[in-house]
This record gives sequence, C-alpha cells and structure tokens, in this order.
Amino acid sequence: MRIPCPYCGERDAHEFSYLGDATPARPDPAAPDAQDRFFDYVYLRDNPAGAHQEWWYHAYGCRQWVQVERNTLTHAVAGARLARDARDAAGDAAGNVPGDAS
Amino acid sequence: MAEHWSHPLDTLPFDTVPPAGHYGVADMTGVAARRIEGLSIATLAPARGAEAAITETMRQALAMELPGASRAVFAGARTLIGTAPGRWLALSSLDRDIAGTLRAALGPLAAITDQSDAFIALDLAGPKVADTLAKGALIDLDPRVFLPGMAATTVLAHIGITLWRREEATWRLLVARSFEAALLRFLVSSAAEYGFELDARG
Amino acid sequence: MSRLAKGGLIDRARSLAFTFDGRSYGGHAGDTLASALLANDVRLVGRSFKYHRPRGIVSAGAEEPNALVELRAGARREPNTRATVAELFDGLDAQSQNRWPSLDLDLLSVNQLLSPFLGAGFYYKTFMWPAAFWEKVYEPIIRRAAGLGRMAEAADPDHYEKASTFCDVLVIGAGPAGLMAALAAGRAGARVILADEDFLTGGRLNAETREIDGKPAAEWAARVTAELASLPNVRLMTRTTVFGVYDSGTYGALERVADHLPVPPPFQPRQRLWRIHARRAVLAAGATERPVVFGGNDRPGVMLAGAVRTYVNRFAVAPGRRVAVFATNDDAWRGALDIKAAGIEVAAIIDVRRAVAASLVQQAKAEGIRTLLDGRVTATHGKLLTAIDIVADGRPERIAVDTLAVSGGWSPNVHLTCHHGGKPAWNGAIAAFVPGTVPPLLAVAGAASGAFTLGSALTDGAAQGAEAAEALGFPVPLPDVPAVAEESVAIAPFWHVADSRGPAFVDLQNDVTAKDISIAHKEGFRSVEHLKRYTTLGMATDQGRTSNVTGLAIMASLTGASIPETGTTIFRPPYTPVSLGALGGHHRGKDFRAVRLTPTHEWAKARGAVFIETGAWLRAQYFPRPGETDWLESVNREVKAVRASVGLIDVSTFGKIDLQGPDVGTLLDRVYINTFSTLAIGKARYGVMLREDGLVMDDGTTARLAPEHYVMTTTTANAAKVYQHLEFCLQVLWPDLDVAIASVSEQWAQIALAGPRARDVLARVVDAGVDVSHEGLPFMGAMEGSVLGGVKARLFRLSFSGELGFEIAVPARHGAELAQALMNAGETFGITPYGIEALGVMRIEKGHVSGNELSGQTTARDLGFGRMASTKKDYIGRVMAGRPGLVDPQRPAFVGFKPVDPSQRLRAGAHFLKIGAAASLENDEGYMTSVAHSPHLGHWIGLGLLQRGPERIGERVRAYDPVRGGDIEVEICAPGFIDPEGERLRG
Ligand SMILES: [Zn+2]
Repeated sequence: MRIPCPYCGERDAHEFSYLGDATPARPDPAAPDAQDRFFDYVYLRDNPAGAHQEWWYHAYGCRQWVQVERNTLTHAVAGARLARDARDAAGDAAGNVPGDAS
Repeated sequence: MAEHWSHPLDTLPFDTVPPAGHYGVADMTGVAARRIEGLSIATLAPARGAEAAITETMRQALAMELPGASRAVFAGARTLIGTAPGRWLALSSLDRDIAGTLRAALGPLAAITDQSDAFIALDLAGPKVADTLAKGALIDLDPRVFLPGMAATTVLAHIGITLWRREEATWRLLVARSFEAALLRFLVSSAAEYGFELDARG
Repeated sequence: MSRLAKGGLIDRARSLAFTFDGRSYGGHAGDTLASALLANDVRLVGRSFKYHRPRGIVSAGAEEPNALVELRAGARREPNTRATVAELFDGLDAQSQNRWPSLDLDLLSVNQLLSPFLGAGFYYKTFMWPAAFWEKVYEPIIRRAAGLGRMAEAADPDHYEKASTFCDVLVIGAGPAGLMAALAAGRAGARVILADEDFLTGGRLNAETREIDGKPAAEWAARVTAELASLPNVRLMTRTTVFGVYDSGTYGALERVADHLPVPPPFQPRQRLWRIHARRAVLAAGATERPVVFGGNDRPGVMLAGAVRTYVNRFAVAPGRRVAVFATNDDAWRGALDIKAAGIEVAAIIDVRRAVAASLVQQAKAEGIRTLLDGRVTATHGKLLTAIDIVADGRPERIAVDTLAVSGGWSPNVHLTCHHGGKPAWNGAIAAFVPGTVPPLLAVAGAASGAFTLGSALTDGAAQGAEAAEALGFPVPLPDVPAVAEESVAIAPFWHVADSRGPAFVDLQNDVTAKDISIAHKEGFRSVEHLKRYTTLGMATDQGRTSNVTGLAIMASLTGASIPETGTTIFRPPYTPVSLGALGGHHRGKDFRAVRLTPTHEWAKARGAVFIETGAWLRAQYFPRPGETDWLESVNREVKAVRASVGLIDVSTFGKIDLQGPDVGTLLDRVYINTFSTLAIGKARYGVMLREDGLVMDDGTTARLAPEHYVMTTTTANAAKVYQHLEFCLQVLWPDLDVAIASVSEQWAQIALAGPRARDVLARVVDAGVDVSHEGLPFMGAMEGSVLGGVKARLFRLSFSGELGFEIAVPARHGAELAQALMNAGETFGITPYGIEALGVMRIEKGHVSGNELSGQTTARDLGFGRMASTKKDYIGRVMAGRPGLVDPQRPAFVGFKPVDPSQRLRAGAHFLKIGAAASLENDEGYMTSVAHSPHLGHWIGLGLLQRGPERIGERVRAYDPVRGGDIEVEICAPGFIDPEGERLRG
C-alpha cells in the first residue's frame, strides 16, 4: 500500500507505523467520569467497513503523524494530512490539557 | 559445473565495514562510493512562531534559503536539506561546527542539535547509481524524476537514509553510523554487477 | 528424433546438450526442456502425485500439471519445475520426480491399487485418529508415497535480489494485445514496462501460423518488439512473470535473470523480485486451453491441442506421428490443419458438435482428415498412447494414434484480476469465465478479456494502451491497427465424457477424478469451496489452471444448477510459484536484517568479545580470557572485577533524545509518572513512563543540561517506540507545547564506568577543569565537559550495577578512543571490560528492573514504583492505572528470591506456588522474571512478581518449573541483594 505523506510525497506503507483510529480525543483527566471516558478512549473502537480516519507515523521519513483516510474494504486512500493540520481543521485545539488531578 | 566467480559478500565478515576497494565486475565502475570525512551536521528546528524570523536570518547571516519541502539547497560549502515540516539538516564541509555557527546566528530562535557523528556520509557517482538504489529503496529514483536538488528521507534495504541528488551524476546519502556496515554490504552486493568502487582516492 | 526438418523459432545453428534421468540428449537454443524432450521422443516424463501413474507432457506453458521435474543437481537442485517453461541450456541436468526406483518401473504405482482408499477426502477419512499419529506415521508415509520433488540439501549458492521500479503504464503479457498496448502507450511518451514470462515476445503469434499485414505474425511481433526496445521510455522485461496485484498500483514480478543459464553470470543474481509501481496497467495475459475429461485422459500422448500446435509451429517438433484431435471448438480445427501442414498425419478430428462451420470441414477434408462429428473419446490404450476408442454419430470405433490433441475451449487468464477480491463472470457465448470486477486502474485486453480473435486482440490492445496513456495526460495519436483476417471462434460447452471407461482425471496434478467429484457430491458437498478442499481439486502448484472450470462444470451437472449458479473460480497471488530466495533477496543469512554496530565494536572484537544480538544491535556479551572454558566463568570474573575495582561497558545502544524548548518540563511531567519540571540543572532523575492504558512502557534517566534543554535516555529496546510516543504527544495530543526533540542515539557514544575505582579512572581522562569529585559531580549529577584533550563530553553519575558509576558520552567517532583511554587510565586498577551478561548479573544483584520486568503487563505499582508516581499532576496512563484491576493488592508485585538450598539453580519462568499447594492455575501466585548466578553471594538469585510479595519477605514459596523439571523452595527477600542502602553508589 502507498500512503501520500503530505510532506514527503507518496511512500510505501512499510515506511510507516500504524496506530489506529484517529477520531478519539484524549478525555479530560479531571472529569468526574474520567476513568470511563479513558476506558472508551483506550479500548473502544468502531470497526467501520469503509472510510476510516487513522493515524500513521512516518517513521522512516519525516517522522510526522499523518491522519490518513483509508477505505478498510479496498485500502484506497482518500487523503492524508499532518496531525497538526488535521487538528487545526477540526477546530479542536488539542487533546485535553491535564488539569490539577489532586 | 564449476564456480567461476564468488560473490563479494560470501567472504566479507558481516560485522565489519567493507574495506576500500573494487568489488564485482572488473574493469567497470557503474557506481563509485566515497565516504565523506569532516562534514559537520546539525538539525535545525525553529522555536514556536520563529519560522519567519529564521528564514530571514538564514538569508541574511548565512545567505541560505530554507527549502520549504523535501529539497536540498546548496550555498558554497553549506547544504540545507528539508527533512520534515519545520525541520532541516544543515551540513558544511568547511565549518568545523555548523551547530555552533547556527546557534550563533539564530540564538533562541531555534533548537540546534549537533549530529556530526550521528551519520556516515557517502557520495555516490556513476551511471548505475539509480539502478543500485532501486534495489533497496521504495521511491522513484528514476533520474528523469528524481532531479538534482531533490531530497528524500526514506529507507534503503530497511535502513533509514537521507538522500539527495547533488548534480546530474552525483548523489549524497546520510546513514546512521551504526548501520554503516549493513548499508555498505547492501551497496557492495547490489552494485557488484555494475562494478563497485569504494573509497577510491584521487 | 521428432524434430521437423524446417520451421520453428529455434536456432538450429546452436545445439545444446542436456540430460534427463542421466541420459544425454540434444536440443537447440529456443527450446524449452519439454520441447527438447519431445524432439527426442521422450514422452514419459513423470509419475502422478497420488497414484504414481505414468504421465507425459500436456501443455506448452505455465499451466503444465504433469511435467514437473527437478532441474540441476547438488545445491542448485530445484524441484517441481515445469519442463514446459524451463528454457533449455547447454549442460542442463534434469530429473523426473515421484518415482522409485525409476521412472519406467515405479514400485509406488501400487498406490493405484489402493485408489479406492485414496479417493476424495481420504486425508479426512483415513487419518482422523489418533492425532499423534500424524507427525510420526501418516505424514512420512504420505510424503514418501505421494510427495513432490526433492529439495536441495545444501544452502542455495546463488544470490537473489529485490528491486522496485515505477512506470506510467505496465503491460502484462507481450502477445498481440500486449504488444499493441505497449506500442500505443510507448509512442505517446509514457513510461512503459512490458513484461512477459516467456523468453520470446509474441505469445500466441509464435504458436500459430497467422499473418499480420501480409507477413508471418511472428515476424510482426519481432519488429514491434524491436521498436519498443528502441524507445527510451519503454522497458522490456522478458522472462519476467507478473505474479500479483497489490494495493495502490503495486505489482509483484519475478525476473528469472539466470534460470536459463547453468550458473548466473558474474555478480548477477539468479532471480530478481520486482515491485513495480504503475499508475495504470493493461493485463494482456492471454488465455489457457482446457482439456475435456474422459476415461484414460492422463495417458502420455494425450495433450492439449494448442500445445501440440505450439510444439509443431514454434519448436518444430512433432509430438507424435499420428494425431487425432478431440475438439469442442473451431480453434482446434485450425490446430489440426497446422499439424497436418507440418507433415504429421492427422487421423481424425472428433468434434462433440453435430454441426461445424462448413468451411472448416471442407478444409479438413481437403487435407484428407476424417471429420467425425457428434463424437467423443471413450477410452485410451497403451502405456504410452497407442489407440483411442471413440463414438461418433452413435458408432463406436477404435483409432490407432500416438497423440490425442484435446481442446475443451479456452479460459481467459483472469488470475490477476482476482487479486483484489474480484470475481470473474461467466460468459456463456465463449463458455468461459471472463474478468468481473477488476483491480483499480487495471484494464484487461485481448484474449484475457475474452476477445479471442487475433483482430480483436490487436484492436483491443491498442485501445487499452492508448486509453491508459491518455488518462495520464499523454497525447496519444490513434495507433494503426494492422490488418488480419477474421477467424471463427465457435464453441459448444462440453466438459466430461460421462460414458467413458477408466479413471477420468479432472485435476492431473492432484490426481482428482470425475468420480471424486461425484463422491463429494453424494457426501453432501455443494459449495465449490468445500468441494475443492475435500477433493483437493485445483489446490496443487498449478492452482487448477486446467481443472477448475471443468470441475465446476461437472459439479454443476451433478446438482443440475448452471455454472454461474454453482460458483466461480478465483485466484490468489502468486500467479506462478515464487522462490523463497527471491522473496528474501539480499536479506538472507547474516544479512537477514540490518545489524547495528556499536562505536566500540571493532575495539571489542579486537579484545576477543563474544557478541550477541539484542534487537538489531550486536553487543559484547562477555570478554573471555585465555583459559576460560565456560561463559559463566568469564561473567563471574567480570562481575567480581567491577565490584572489587572498576570495569567499563559500552551503553551507546540506549536511546538518547535531546529535548529543547520552553515546555520540555511540562512535556516530561506529562509523559513520566514522576516530576521533571522541578529537576535542577545539572541533575538527572530516574523516570518511569506509562502507556495510556496504565501499564509501564519504559524507564530511564533524564537529565537537565540547561533550563530549556534536557536529554532523555530510554532502554535499547524501546528507543524508537519512545521517540514515536513523544512525537505523538507533541504533534497529536499537545501541539501547543513548544518542544523540539531530536534523536541523538547515534551522535553520542556512551560508556559506563563502574566500580569503587571508577572516579579515579575517570579523573584521568577528563580535561583540566572538569571536576568529577563527589562535590563536582554528585550522585545523579550531569554535566557537559570535555575529555581526551578537547573532545566534548556529557558526564553523568549514574549506576545500573549498584557500584559508584559514571556514564561518559562523547561524539560517536571518539567512542573507541574513549574506551581505550579508559582502559589505559585504569590499567593500574585492573580495569575490566564487561559485557551485557555481567551487566545483567549486576542489575539483578542490585534489584533493578529491566526488559523482563517491563513486559508490557506490569504497572508502576507492581514494580515498586507506586510511591514515585506524582499525585499532583496528570500524566499519560494515570487515570487508567487507577482501574480496580490494576490496583488490586493481590496483583503479583516485585520482590527478590533466593534458593533455600543455596546449591540449587533458579529458573526464570518458574511459577510460584504456596508450599504444599497443587500445581494448578488457581494456585498460581506469580512467576520468576529474571535470574542470575551471583558471584558476590555465591548462589543463584532471582527477581520476580509474586502476589503480595513485598508483605511476605522471609516466607518460602515453591518455584515450580514443569518445562525444565524444576521444583524447589525459595525464600522471598527484598529485591536488592547488594548494598541495599546504596552506600556504594553514593560514595
Ligand atoms: Zn513523511
């Protein structure tokens, strides 16, 4: 499979390592139900047949985390963008910044 | 049927950097590789929001243009390679300490890390460089596509490299020091059919 | 000799000598082994897989089910090679296989008598019980009786390589359609690769006697090939099989660089595995002829009609002297005419159809060939074919022939179209499966798409090649399609002569008969996929090229369903077998994966080090001295030397990461369980980081060199993983943090110096003004300085061994120099280089956790780091580490162990049980993670995870190791066998 890295151009999937679903955001660790939310964040995944937003790390290239839209049925890649750009586009500043958990 | 030739890797110890010499087909040098000594190398990463200031300072203080993509920019003895968004490799064959030079010029604008010992630099020349690299790389290195000034951080025989084409027939490659023997073994093996010259002097 | 006096595309001026089963024969350049054998009247070439029936050559291509031979001898012996595609070379040594003691007299053909027991499903029925019999009894018997060829017993002396290439248009197959496609795209300027498995381009044009533009078609093929070869943007790859279609326009191809030569030319690989990246592809793979199934259809002399035609036209070989043709279609009639035109007697054409185009019948009659319509072959005779029984128009007859050319029609080579899950579709008009859904950006042209006439192949090829190039933006002039006469391709679907006598083979390679299919049907198998597995139909190395469709059709007739209702036939990569050598390429033996060498590797080698692979790294395991006979002896000496005086070890393999920026402290606080933002400049701290699931990911020390500059160390194993994790934190979780990280693992060589004399040695290598006294560099201190007269260095006072210890980092090129300087400086103290075995012993003596404890299943609390975790901040893994299951006080926790009887050996992996408790899963209380023989204590010691371990110090438990027969009592102790108060390392 080839992945279009936004910086390096099209590269073989061998250059990347795969993490998985790119949609869950790190929950607020100070939330009263933080443990349940983290459980979902760490373990619960949809397994869609079709379009899937996922994280790929370009380990042998620019070392950027790339959000790739891949069709899980065909492996067709519809697009890819750098993590930072993806977050900006989502209007979500970042994962939750840890609060005072004491 | 008797063996009439033996493969160079069959007699080279696997954990030794192959010695200088001619490998493979005699009377032909399809690829010549030369280890470049005395390069000073550093990585350069701008502090948050300092990219514009760095671009300007590099231009004025060092007369260098920061490449906006995976490209190599040459200015005298210095080279800048784009390796990631907001990340460059700076190399110099004259400055003994390019990291120091950059730090002096950029101050707190950037994180500078000396990497002079992290890499072995190899110059590759000859008509069969692209064919040889194609035996380990998974990117299009066709000389009609990978033009002088283009650069790539990628893999060669499962080993991470940064590669750029300097001129029509010369390429330079950086490989992590610990992989030097493994990478040269790959080159010896892959270029043997074209004739491979390692570290020719003069 | 059966070589025809004239014709063929062989080079009669070049004679080649070869042997088959030890006998010498001659052939010509341009022959395959099969054509050369036929030219020498060798018609018996192998024994069948299961019943050891005599078999001859059936085909002239990759579909060959019978003529599997061993090529070459000794280390280069290669079994199961199809003689029909093996290019003849001078000195070729070929052997038949599956026979004992000889091909002519095969004693194992008694299997034929057992055939009632070896029928469909015999594997399942016969060898069901007991399971243990499989390995020892059944398998060896089956392998001997029904094996394939023999592997070489020595390592393959040849080299293989892999390569990748990129193109705009990949054309697969260089027959008429492929040549036209490549020409259209190539002339347009696209980067084109034209690949063909044959050594000669032209495909069917070389096997038939057609004309293109009024000239022999083979000449046209040669002319087009020459033009393609002259175009700089076209790469011709003959002897190259495209065997698989993968994602994103990636194709696997095998180039047989030197298979047609006795040994590879100097410095050439035997084979080269290509990864071809194509923006578009045109599949022009042609079609494969199918046999008709009838009793005795496996007798040597029964061949595919197209193969007979190929041997006659391309190789100038007469496969027999008197030929009958058994046909279901018009194409076989043209074959019969070709055979006759070459001067071979054609006794009859037996066609299953009642009516055949009058022109064909007239032509045959004009050539004096009997035409028997509404006919079928019902039996065959002879060890090698001597006669056939037929019924035509209701009248039985015996005809003496030595060759029967059979054609059941042609199946498009749809294989590659199935590699993305595509299913072929049934086309009743040509009685064949044609491509259904095809992989993206691949088009099918010519016979592979079901366009069987030559004219349509040329037109279709040109159109597909032009379309592919045009889609990529290359202006394509309309290619001229050469003129050819139109031929008829009528066919009647006909699969099986049901009233024939003798075993009727569907799958010749796996010996599956029509009866096996009916047995499977009677036993309730309906799905084609089940049928295949039950009977093994189509599961041999030929992947059922000549049998799948027929098997399906027979199944359909049994169930009364249509062929498309019954199922389809799909194919997976590889199209033809690919050798493991080619898949490995350069990466075999010690080059299996790239090995990493430490900066002191040559230095250590010169000192006689024994090395061990740790991940990709090669590290010194120990440094034996003359007279030492056992590794433990060397390791004990090294440990004692360090504890008594001083030793050194290269620890450059640890991951080292520079972190710079105003937010480094914040980042570290979020990735470590403990706090780093408050770390004083010039100090280092041990840290533990968790995964988000709350389990420990890695540990190491991180030092603060400047207000906004830290350097982190990771374990050797996790260096890349931790770097990737930090990038995830910075790019995905908290992109607002202003931190730049850089791996400096390769930049710095790092040497650990340990032992009571460590400071004395270090003091001799640092430059003037670098204060390494207790005050200048206190425990957990870090500083930048210089050594060896101007070499910049990072100095840390750390200890893994429990002794006074330092780690000195210098730019990597100076690593060996530093090691030698330390050796010189320490000579008076008897300084000893030590390896990772001694390092491991010392860390166990000291009670430090390492890889065995950082197993990915342990929490910080399990490992005794519970109190290190900050409660004043959030960090990765904090929330999940609080899950009830991870804070359960019953969880096994980290403690030390020593044998109650000090003479007994401990074993890592032993499980703990209460004394007297039965060895059952419910009674399992944990396990031993690490053990070592402590030269300091004179007995074995261990570390492990035990339920409530820290509360049970002094108790005894049973260490039970059923795998190695260990079952001893051990005493629980604190995990620190040496200097528990840490006086040595603070001294
Ligand atoms: Zn990239």
